[in-house]
Amino acid sequence: MPTITIDGTTYEYEGDHKVLQFCLDEGVELPHFCYHPAMSIPANCRQCLVKVGTPKINRETGEPERDDDGNVQIQWFPKLQASCTVDVQDGMVVKTHRSDEEVQAAQKDNLELLLINHPLDCPICDQAGHCPLQIQAYKYGPEGSRFEFRKVHKPKRVKLGPRVTLDAERCINCTRCTRFTDEVSESGQLTINQRGVKNYPLTAPGEDFDDPYSMNTIDLCPVGALTASDFRFKARIWEMSSTPSITTTNATGSNCQYWVRDNLVLRITPRQNMAVNEYWLPDEDRTVYEQFNNDRPTGPQIRTGGNLAEARWPQAYARAAQDLSSVDPSEILFLGSAHATVEDNYLLTQLADALGADAPRYIPHVEPGAGDDWLITDDKTPNAQGCERLGIRAVDEQMIRSKMDAGEIKLVYVLEDDPVAAGLFTEEQLKGVSVILHHYNTTNQTLPAADVALPAAMVVETVGTYVNQDGRAQRVRPAKEIRGVNRTLMMEMGKARQDTHGTPFDKWYNEENRVNCKPSWELLPEIAERVGHPMDYAKGPKQVMDEVQSTLDAFAGATYDAMGLKGVQLEDVETGETV
Amino acid sequence: MEATNGTPQSKAGDWRSYERVLLPPVKDLHRLEVYEQHGGYDALRTVLTDDSLTPGDVTQAVKESGLRGRGGAGFSTGMKWSFMPEPDDRPRYLACNADESEPGTFKDRQLMEYNPHLMFEGILIACYAMQIDACYVYTRGEYVDWIDHMQVELDKLYDKGYVGDNIMGTGFSTEIVMHKGAGAYICGEETSLLESLEGKRGYPRYKPPFPAQKGAWSQPTTINNVETLACVPLIVNRGAEWFASTGAEQHPGPVLYGISGHVNRPGVYEYPTGMLITDLIDEVAGGVRGGKALKALIPGGASVPPLRADMIEGVTMDAESLREAGSLFGTGGMLILDEDTDMVSWLRRVTHFYQHESCGQCTPCREGTGWLEQIVTRIDEGEGRLRDLDLLLELGDQMEGRTICAFADAAVWPVRNTVKRFREEFEAKCKKSVHPTGAEVSAGAETAA
Ligand SMILES: Cc1cc2nc3c(=O)[nH]c(=O)nc-3n(C[C@H](O)[C@H](O)[C@H](O)COP(=O)(O)O)c2cc1C
Ligand code: SF4
Ligand code: SF4
Ligand code: FES
Repeated sequence: MPTITIDGTTYEYEGDHKVLQFCLDEGVELPHFCYHPAMSIPANCRQCLVKVGTPKINRETGEPERDDDGNVQIQWFPKLQASCTVDVQDGMVVKTHRSDEEVQAAQKDNLELLLINHPLDCPICDQAGHCPLQIQAYKYGPEGSRFEFRKVHKPKRVKLGPRVTLDAERCINCTRCTRFTDEVSESGQLTINQRGVKNYPLTAPGEDFDDPYSMNTIDLCPVGALTASDFRFKARIWEMSSTPSITTTNATGSNCQYWVRDNLVLRITPRQNMAVNEYWLPDEDRTVYEQFNNDRPTGPQIRTGGNLAEARWPQAYARAAQDLSSVDPSEILFLGSAHATVEDNYLLTQLADALGADAPRYIPHVEPGAGDDWLITDDKTPNAQGCERLGIRAVDEQMIRSKMDAGEIKLVYVLEDDPVAAGLFTEEQLKGVSVILHHYNTTNQTLPAADVALPAAMVVETVGTYVNQDGRAQRVRPAKEIRGVNRTLMMEMGKARQDTHGTPFDKWYNEENRVNCKPSWELLPEIAERVGHPMDYAKGPKQVMDEVQSTLDAFAGATYDAMGLKGVQLEDVETGETV
Repeated sequence: MEATNGTPQSKAGDWRSYERVLLPPVKDLHRLEVYEQHGGYDALRTVLTDDSLTPGDVTQAVKESGLRGRGGAGFSTGMKWSFMPEPDDRPRYLACNADESEPGTFKDRQLMEYNPHLMFEGILIACYAMQIDACYVYTRGEYVDWIDHMQVELDKLYDKGYVGDNIMGTGFSTEIVMHKGAGAYICGEETSLLESLEGKRGYPRYKPPFPAQKGAWSQPTTINNVETLACVPLIVNRGAEWFASTGAEQHPGPVLYGISGHVNRPGVYEYPTGMLITDLIDEVAGGVRGGKALKALIPGGASVPPLRADMIEGVTMDAESLREAGSLFGTGGMLILDEDTDMVSWLRRVTHFYQHESCGQCTPCREGTGWLEQIVTRIDEGEGRLRDLDLLLELGDQMEGRTICAFADAAVWPVRNTVKRFREEFEAKCKKSVHPTGAEVSAGAETAA
């Protein structure tokens, strides 16, 4: 097998590689800025310089020349090479800053140059703390600077589009952002304008940077030049915790990080998963962060004397159980939810089954034409696949409406959805019907018709599994705390977030920011027990999922351990109808 | 020819009776009719109709002629042509580099104005030699008048069947397209030229891959300077030996010297390569203005190292001699500076140019060119420190050889060599040290800080 020697260590390799990527893959860190594996290689930052040599080949024999000790003689390239552009070759020898002073000096020189016109406003920069420029300058840069002149000044606040704001002075001209719009999102909306030290990215005059993927440029930007318009200056990186999870805006199940300070979600960024979203996240997956903070319910409510009134949790469970027991099971409509996890939907089917009611149905939320062929789907829910695989079918609206009109539905049990907003019923139609509602926000339009309103934990507060449109089962973890004590959540939180942010030990701590809600996998067993069908899932959703994956072929293999951070691809199965 | 018995020797032979071939003294030669009356397009006809002349033979002849590129790098043209891969089903391109923007360089313009058909004919022969389908003439945008004027002549060529389909009824076809640049020096760098041609920003590409493998629109492409291509019909007409025996042996041929600066008769002069610099200044250009003494010479455009007057004794204008003297042939655009020239202020102007023209891709060039200018400006304004001189040299090391294209090197050479070769002038302009003599801190950041 061909080999390459880096800093004295020899590696075997197969296939084609660039030296920089090969080093990174092998865990040999090399400073770099412009290179990104998903885009073309511009080699413009010049930070990744290394010394490269190849065996000296004897022209006559075609064999490498050897010195007196029998060692292969190396022919060094006359100049340092940008490792991002150099193809790995058999017998190649590479020296990085670890073994070569010239390389070390070149990296240091380059960082000095990168910083001479940089504003160094790290103390107020969003990127500070996770800034490749800052990190690499500390690690490889010079002690100080010999630059004694006025820096080049550029616009500090350019609103490139609705979601992205540019601080042109911080830009290091790596062209990652322009390459992204040229090569990845293909909107072509950004280009570098001006020349030399004056240049920075911009749209064409009068054009907006409204690419549906525009915010990826913020993640790509190796400095704080591109910032999220509604996040800039809001929080320092070290004040937030980030939790690996997935987004639930659509059926892609893009992998993401939820960034939380004081139990408020402040931003959502992509997390690499080559089987799902690669490195990217559509803007629509990010701008939803406020729904986790705003309009959240303050606790359970029950209808008494015609009005919804605050109640304690046990009261609400009791009332739900009472309502469920007071109608004939055939008169109950259980609505599962493509917004809810597999575990929650599964428990709902268990409850319906125990009561002898019809199997739950779910409301599809499909907006034909809303999707693209990439990460945005027509389906605006994260778990329609999960529902289908559980045997929960989409609602037959005609049938349900006629049953409703015929008075054959006396109770509607809604798991984390909003049938009124979805147009399944009007508030009016629900007048004479008992409604038990697990809801996320007070803006839920079914809420005014509810008899029992149970605030449910959202994706950022729970543990559970979603199945994306391609049949990939992925689990989520709590990114923020809810009120009340839930051992499972606390343990998961501890594993996912090794910090104290948003706990009472943190200086950023407001009790109001912890929502008084519960995960549906805690609510459903409480109610089931009170209708005489206790559920035994002492170990919480992990145990539920174990049961699901061992009893249903459609979920085989999807244990929490197997899903880990990147999910498990499930076997294809026949589902009721395609969504 | 070596200098004998102490007398400097020209390699240009009997240059005083040299007869011009690139810019012959023929009135209205730019017009197709006139050009043809003087034997124009005979070379093309020979190449296309003589069955014994294969494309490979033409390339071989150019190789044997010893022609080296006139765009600045001086690379063997025949060799460059032979890098083109064998023809396959992909299109192949030639780019004629008419972006002429190197300061002190204005010789291509002369060809475009007075003898554009020599360039066109050279293009067509080159296309035949490399089996190329289309040539873009990438012309400096400021040369609008000459672009229009060349377009008129190009239209005539199309009408006459000398360009386009089935040229001269021989079955060989190739297109020529005039393309106007938009005023960036960097677009003269060959790969940047290709990007610009493709409608992108003029950002140079790193090599490999070389244009012959992946050029315009990723297809095999060769880039040649106007004057280089204009030499090609001469080689066909007069033979490779004639070319090879004209001027300096290692760098032969007729060449256009663009002489500017403090001389009595600045202008573009055609002579063989290998002329003595002193002959060019004293005789051809009529001597230094006002009878002054020479201070410095920049032999081939602002990008090459300047030579002090005492360094040009016996030096001839060809790659070898200039390399030995410590400079480069470049574009042959000679800038003459007399004894009154303030070299600091001259360098300030040069560094400004590079600061202004860096494309801004590479960190060392984007940032370094501006820094160089700031330091030189400070020295020029009397605010410099002695340590600034060291810093200029160190900065040069930080930039040179570490960028995508040769621009950064070209920006460094004049700085490095002006500071080294005219150091007293720089020192004289620096602020006097407040430290006792000998204690001036003159080193890099680590020790100075
Ligand atoms: C910064 C820079 C600017 C250049 N500008 C020109 C130019 O204006 N005209 C030109 O012919 N060559 C220019 N060159 C040289 C070209 O890159 C290339 O070497 C030349 O066009 C090749 O033609 P030749 O082999 O016929 O000389 C430039 C090179 C650099 C690095
Ligand atoms: S804005 Fe950021 S991503 Fe874009 S070129 Fe500048 S540094 Fe690179
Ligand atoms: S060296 Fe300068 S001009 Fe050349 S590509 Fe780099 S930044 Fe552009
Ligand atoms: S990573 Fe920027 S030059 Fe290689």
